[in-house]
Amino acid sequence: MKKILLFSLPVLLIGLTAAYFLYNKPHQKMENADVDMTVSAFDLFVEFDQNEAKANEKYLEKILLVEGKITDVSTNEEGHVSLTLKSSSDMFGVICQMDQLTEHERTDFTVGETVTLKGICTGMLMDVVLVRCVEV
Amino acid sequence: MKNICIILSLTLISGQALFSQKYFTRAGKVTFTSEAPLEKIEAANEKATSVLDAASGKMEFAVLIKAFQFEKALMQEHFNENYMESSTFPKAVFKGQIVNPSAVDFSKDGIYEVKVAGDMTIHGVTKTIEVPGKIRIERGEISASSVFELTVADFNIKIPAVVRENIAKTVAVSIDLNYELLKS
Repeated sequence: MKKILLFSLPVLLIGLTAAYFLYNKPHQKMENADVDMTVSAFDLFVEFDQNEAKANEKYLEKILLVEGKITDVSTNEEGHVSLTLKSSSDMFGVICQMDQLTEHERTDFTVGETVTLKGICTGMLMDVVLVRCVEV
Repeated sequence: MKNICIILSLTLISGQALFSQKYFTRAGKVTFTSEAPLEKIEAANEKATSVLDAASGKMEFAVLIKAFQFEKALMQEHFNENYMESSTFPKAVFKGQIVNPSAVDFSKDGIYEVKVAGDMTIHGVTKTIEVPGKIRIERGEISASSVFELTVADFNIKIPAVVRENIAKTVAVSIDLNYELLKS
């Protein structure tokens, strides 16, 4: 009996610790995240616009490095910054929501400047949307 | 006679233009909360899009499932991979209409209670819903909000028995939209 207890207790402890750490697994750090693909904001939008299903297959949940010209900067009530990058469309573009879990070096972006951002592609509504973006 | 006709049709067209104003947003906020005995789970998405046609009361709404941000990474992973299968069903879409559009005077400031009915598509399953909402008009700015509950099983989302105490059967959804005038 004692032997069983002596053996099972550490196993149980290891199991519980592992479960605890798995449960509290932190979100991926975007500054250090590896880039899956590099694409210009313009081309990314074109691909989604032409064949959304195909683009979803290629880009969904991938970490992209996108370069583009800022056409809009917006800050919501909670102070979260989003940038829209220029595309082939007059109305829509690539929206990049800056990561809320990262301390950004700068948040004062201006319309017209060219930026390179790293972010996770979540798909297309009217615009292509990237979340958790950081400037590179 | 011909002139009258032209004037008449012109007035009609311009009148139409005045009332067929469309509003949209691409920064709508959607949050949902699951309150189960063992765990409270919350997630937020700030990039919902919506279009509102003031004349007809028609309303459309879409949100990307993968853009929901959870407190815990593991929850987000399970939500996307096991429950919502967001690689197969990347969006949730609502298409519907304000049931009582006459209750809203878009030219006058105020908070108007509305009912919105239509088809909600989540996880590839479409269900007709009717939810209460508020439309707020303040100095020409239009915003809309709604809080309602959705039953997880209605959308064919299966929750394994092991986490029955961790995930609620109904989740409370809260929507906040600040519309802008759609210039066309």
